Amino acid sequence: MLSVLVFLPLAAAAVLLIPRISAGVARGVFVVVTAAELALACLVWARYDTPAAGALAAEEQARWIPGVGSSYHVGVDGLSLPLVLMTTLVFLACAVHALREQRRPRLQAALFLFLEAVCLGLFVSADLILFFVFFDLSIVGMYFSISGWGHRDAARSALKFFLYTFLGSLALLLGFVGLYVASDPHTFDMVELTAHPPLQGHGVAGGLVLAAVLLGLAVKTPTFPFHTWLPPAHSDAPAIGSAVLAGVMLKMGTYGFVRIAMPMLPDAWRAWAWVVIAVGIVSVLWGALVAFAQTDLKRMIAYTSVNHMGYVVLAVGAAGVLADGADQARQVAVTGAVTQMVSHGLLTAALFLLAGSMFERTETYDLDGYGGLAGTAPRYATLFTVAAFGSLGLPALSGFIAEFQIFAGSIATVPVTAVAVLGILITAALFLRALQRVFTGPSEGLSVGFTDVTPREWVPVALLLAVSVFIGVLPRTLLDVIEPGAAVLAHLVGR
Amino acid sequence: MALLPEALLFLGGMLTLVSGSFTPRTRQWRMSLVAAAATVASLVASLVAWTGGTRAAFSDTFTVDTSTGAARVTVTVSLLLILLIASGEVRDHPRESETYSLLLFGGAGTLLLAGSTDLAVLVVAFLLSSIPLYGLVGIMARPGSPEAALKTYLFGALFGILLMLGAVLLYGLAGRAGYSSLAAELPDAPTAAVATGGVLVLMGLLFKAGAVPGHFWVPDATQGASVTAAAFLTTVPKIGALVAITRLVAVLPGELRWATVLGILAVASMTIGNLAALAQDDVRRLLGWSTVSQVGYLLAAAAVTRISDQGQPALLFFLAGYALTNLAAFAVAAAAPERRSLEGWAGFASARPGLSAALVVALLGLVGTPPTAVFIGKLTTMGATWDAGLAWLAVAIALNSVVSLFYYLRWIRAALRPAAQRGEEAGTGTGTDGTGGRGAPTAALVAAFATVVMGLTAGPLWLVLA
Amino acid sequence: MHDLVLVALVALPAVVGALLVLSGSGADRFAVPVGVGTAALLTAASFAVSFPATSRPTVATPFMAGADLGLGVDGLAALVLPAVAVVSALVLLAASGTPALRTARFYGLMLLFVAAALMTVLATTLPTLLMSWEVMGATSFALIGYHWRDQETISSGTTAFLTTRTADVGLYVAAGAALAGGAGLGLAALPNASGGWRDVIAAGLVVAGLGKAAQLPFSFWLSRAMHGPSPVSALLHSAAMVAMGGYLLLRVAPTLAGTGWADDTAAWAGAATAVLLGMVALAQSDLKQLLAASTAAQLGFVVLAAGVGATAGGATHLVAHAAVKAGLFLAAGIWLEALGTKRLSSLTGAARLWPVVAACAVASLLSLAGLPPLALWATKDAVLAAAAEQSPTLYVAGLLGAALSAAYATKALVVLTRPVPDDAESRYDDERNGTRAVPTTAWLPLLPLAAGALLLGVLALPPLFTHVQELVGGTAPEPSTFELVTSALLAVAVIVAAVTVIRGVQTRRFVWPRVLTDWLFLEPLAHRLVVRPVEVLARRLAHLDDAVLDRSVEATAGGTVRLARAAALLDDRVIDGAVVRVVSGVRRLGGLARRPQTGQLHQYYLQALAVLALVLVVLVLVR
Repeated sequence: MLSVLVFLPLAAAAVLLIPRISAGVARGVFVVVTAAELALACLVWARYDTPAAGALAAEEQARWIPGVGSSYHVGVDGLSLPLVLMTTLVFLACAVHALREQRRPRLQAALFLFLEAVCLGLFVSADLILFFVFFDLSIVGMYFSISGWGHRDAARSALKFFLYTFLGSLALLLGFVGLYVASDPHTFDMVELTAHPPLQGHGVAGGLVLAAVLLGLAVKTPTFPFHTWLPPAHSDAPAIGSAVLAGVMLKMGTYGFVRIAMPMLPDAWRAWAWVVIAVGIVSVLWGALVAFAQTDLKRMIAYTSVNHMGYVVLAVGAAGVLADGADQARQVAVTGAVTQMVSHGLLTAALFLLAGSMFERTETYDLDGYGGLAGTAPRYATLFTVAAFGSLGLPALSGFIAEFQIFAGSIATVPVTAVAVLGILITAALFLRALQRVFTGPSEGLSVGFTDVTPREWVPVALLLAVSVFIGVLPRTLLDVIEPGAAVLAHLVGR
Repeated sequence: MALLPEALLFLGGMLTLVSGSFTPRTRQWRMSLVAAAATVASLVASLVAWTGGTRAAFSDTFTVDTSTGAARVTVTVSLLLILLIASGEVRDHPRESETYSLLLFGGAGTLLLAGSTDLAVLVVAFLLSSIPLYGLVGIMARPGSPEAALKTYLFGALFGILLMLGAVLLYGLAGRAGYSSLAAELPDAPTAAVATGGVLVLMGLLFKAGAVPGHFWVPDATQGASVTAAAFLTTVPKIGALVAITRLVAVLPGELRWATVLGILAVASMTIGNLAALAQDDVRRLLGWSTVSQVGYLLAAAAVTRISDQGQPALLFFLAGYALTNLAAFAVAAAAPERRSLEGWAGFASARPGLSAALVVALLGLVGTPPTAVFIGKLTTMGATWDAGLAWLAVAIALNSVVSLFYYLRWIRAALRPAAQRGEEAGTGTGTDGTGGRGAPTAALVAAFATVVMGLTAGPLWLVLA
Repeated sequence: MHDLVLVALVALPAVVGALLVLSGSGADRFAVPVGVGTAALLTAASFAVSFPATSRPTVATPFMAGADLGLGVDGLAALVLPAVAVVSALVLLAASGTPALRTARFYGLMLLFVAAALMTVLATTLPTLLMSWEVMGATSFALIGYHWRDQETISSGTTAFLTTRTADVGLYVAAGAALAGGAGLGLAALPNASGGWRDVIAAGLVVAGLGKAAQLPFSFWLSRAMHGPSPVSALLHSAAMVAMGGYLLLRVAPTLAGTGWADDTAAWAGAATAVLLGMVALAQSDLKQLLAASTAAQLGFVVLAAGVGATAGGATHLVAHAAVKAGLFLAAGIWLEALGTKRLSSLTGAARLWPVVAACAVASLLSLAGLPPLALWATKDAVLAAAAEQSPTLYVAGLLGAALSAAYATKALVVLTRPVPDDAESRYDDERNGTRAVPTTAWLPLLPLAAGALLLGVLALPPLFTHVQELVGGTAPEPSTFELVTSALLAVAVIVAAVTVIRGVQTRRFVWPRVLTDWLFLEPLAHRLVVRPVEVLARRLAHLDDAVLDRSVEATAGGTVRLARAAALLDDRVIDGAVVRVVSGVRRLGGLARRPQTGQLHQYYLQALAVLALVLVVLVLVR
């Protein structure tokens, strides 16, 4: 089941490499396959029932490199399943958005199907090597997406992205090797390592391994101060590239926290939780404030991503602080973190697709260039406003559900984290100001002659936002899946 | 009988050489078939011999075990690929058949080096594998190749002498030349003397491996010699040399000391190789330096074969993976001989999509991107070194991989750049693309594909090597 | 059955509103009937759930953080819910009189806002409350900035949203504290939270309440909010948004009382606002600004009530004030539409133009002035009675506030009822072109509101007040006859005084100090102390981000490359040098010396041997 989910797009990508396939067919295949993926993911969700603590559902395992204790091992639980579904959604949205792509559409479709396979593979993998394989391939794929379909200074940004994240990935690999060497018998199997965490009680060694893992994940997430690759990568990436990068790939970092760092190095995690929390708080405020100073739409959204990912880091950090009687709070924090991953994926993907539509028309992201756009492009204005309010954490959208739990959980465990709440104020300010600049007032500047979005542009965005609203109004559907997983994780970290 | 694979290679070389001299210039290509046939035969023989399990031959002077088997298979397969590359480059060249035979001789010498467990045999093998090398570097009359050959020769001479010195010293200390007796006697011998002898022998082998401090000739040779020769001398000798190194250090007293020494040399190799490669503009020189860095990683694995049971399989797997990947890169270079400087590679992606795919796979493979073979090699090497208590070696490998990404990406970017932006001096590029003939592109695609397959099927292979 | 109605109270306006907003201008034709119809249904439903035959309904479904998404009607809600619903319906009806507002977007947003307001009234848990609370803020942004072509109104909306959200941060913190406090997130359970956490909860709630209720120091957003359409002000700044701030504090009064300091804080904040904003109101020359300041001042009494535990008094004052202010804002809106101005000086004699409007406005103003036996006179005293119990100072402050409300009400009254000056026409239309007409739908809603303004006082007077006390809970003392008489006399005295004074002012111009006309400079202060610094900080950090963080990364990369160049340079020099030497050497020695004379090769050798030596050393050292 999961293997099909992972390898179907890969196969499709391989087929699309045949040069004779026409652009139209390629675009069609892109949409159909991503739609099929979404259906498959829903099927997995429908069949899913919460596995026992530490176990996985829909598990599949096959021998790969038994010699080094690594196997093809996949499965889902409450922490990964929501991300899987979110991933398929984002890619479907991208496929529809790319229906008008003129630059090498066949190769782009192939590349993004490859990326979908890689992203899904990462979220379902239950083996560190498998995880790393997908982690690295995602970087390679995104590099080609930026350098091949980006604009402006794409080549440079792509290179920077590759080098920076590759550095992170190798730090991660070092950490994995450390876990492998410390485990007995030597293994890369996540379930094993979670069940019997190595390096328990080895303060220094555990700290070093965690440091390596954290570095790798922090670069990918990205958290302050490793975030500087993000703005250029985004502002020069193609619309769907940014959507996937911000919507899905940033989650690989945060997912690594909850899947690897916390359950496999609980001792070290608790010892270093304060550092994580500090990094989280700084990322939240830094991201928000710097975003507030941007005049380039994509850079602004990119920095809000730093801010939003900061909430996640903050929450997982707080989950590592054992205050007496705070168990429920720690679970709430973790639940909020996972919810935030899903929510941010949906909302940011929507925002970047909208930014792409803007660039298609005017070839610029300069906020000051617009004015009164609501008059010339009302539908665009509506979608953007909804997405923006979702991103600033308005109730009835998914962002609120995530952030409320993050704040409630974190503040209850580590009161000082209340500082981070200021983040939602600054984001509110910056989004309202952006809305004001671009959409209100007399229609002037680039807004003149700005045609409203076509169905192939607004349908995918509407889809993403609809899901976000659904989560915001009826969160139980999602939380019923996440909460058991979060509870297990909170317990594992407490060991 | 135990040396059948080596013998077959040697005989194949002779046959090629002799019959080549009776074949008219235009028919020389047949010799490649002869050479290939001999190599295939040797490959088959190696596989058969492998199933025979471990055994010593010629009164323990030569050992046939997993290492030897792996080395044989890797070398013969590499030779086949190199013959493919050569078939395009040296076709109808006055020295065509000689080239083939030299390749085979060199292969045979390397295998001897890999299997020898006796100082005397080691020395002989060193010479056998070195002489064809000098020939290969100089055989093609192209600018720079005489100088390269000269340097390689003079440099090799020194290290050869060092090796013999060391051998003599160790022989004197142990009273016998067999490794088994070395292992028995040396612990009682004066440490400094043993150390000196060991280091001297090691130096010779490092020269063959092209590792620091014996690396100076590598970039010149790869740049000056023909692509065929370059591909050969950056791949095949390393295989024999590294296996020989593991055999040597296995019998020297003080395992941790030797591991540390090899580790330091490994770090030196990978670092110097990477840093020097960064600013290179000539792709062959770049590849040359990259092999210096790669041998650093291999050396790291060789360093811990004795301490960690992971080391041996890691090294052998890494060697095979490296050989394939490196040859893939050289094959692409051979397929586009007129593209020398990085600028010259602009527009390659559009002109030769298949080959550029192979190039990307090969270069990312050399970086160590999963799921290629080199990734598994690096991963297991890091695991082994850490397991052996040399975690710093693992860290060094990781850091160097990042540095190496810089220059491999430079090449990829150059190849992906649209032809419009191409530098002037490469103007002749597209027109003459493909002058490398059929052989090189085939070799490139096969090798590149093989690296991925090898990575994905690492499991069973590992079990064979472990 | 009642449970369904309860859910419908929130779901119906939310869904209908959302549909209207999204359907865009296409649905403008249905906007008014659908909107007003929905509001009417809500009114009926609100009474149904507030005074049911059986027990009052509550519904709850699991939500998040272990808390429910809960709605419920208790005594307090039973009193406020109908008021909110009725005012909403009347305002929506009145709005249909303004052509510019007969759009799907306006009615949709209004219904969304109403849904949020009703949900706030009914919320039984913190998550539920916070949800409706924030939606209220966001919709208020959209409604105040309804005329989005005008940058001014939009930024007013932004100010309103940001200011209130700043206060909302208190609720997030309170939620966290409640989770840690162990008593859960139910509003009723908050007083049971463990020691320190309960103080945090109370602090958060007070901040949130003061922000929404436009109390000091947040009051300025209310002034900016006056840029919005008058019906918006009539709803947001009488019965709903602002009132909800006071309502929240009334609802959590037990929690505040539990801490021992939070209730006093609230009480004093309320009293201070009542006095200071009363003075501000007195100083305004713009009718809507005057009403806005008075709203803040009147809510001060509600907050004061929450502080002194006079829940019943506060609730009745809230309801009565809703009727009064809604009517006045609608009247102001009518004049703005008809005469195109809201400046008091230009509105001189406006009350003489349309008798019904005039009558209602006068009634509401007199009630606002606290003239017995009108509504606010009684309700206010119900609050002050409790205040007197707590501390005489509070009581005096309250009386002062009452006197001020009498003063500014009279000020408006006098101006509006003067004879129309001859040059009146010349003063109209300074803001927009007036229609000089008042459609029926516009003035009709004034009648019930005026009735409320006159009569709702009975809620706070014996015998009804005791029932209200039972209904709402809380054991605040009923106002004594002495207090009632005092405030009555005070009101009358002030009114008389004011009339005479204002007549006098007419002759020699009197200039109010800017501190009062400009709302105590609260907004400039907020800008200087908060907004500016944040903007500057943001710019600094952005610079830092590009200049330092990013650079440092590039620098390390550059460093590596430089190192590489060095290595390559060595390499090149050595190699090239070698070539050169070879060539020159060959020249010098002719063809004889084929052996290359290269010091370079010696260099190679030396380096190699050096390494060799090094290795030896290592070997001997490491054991």
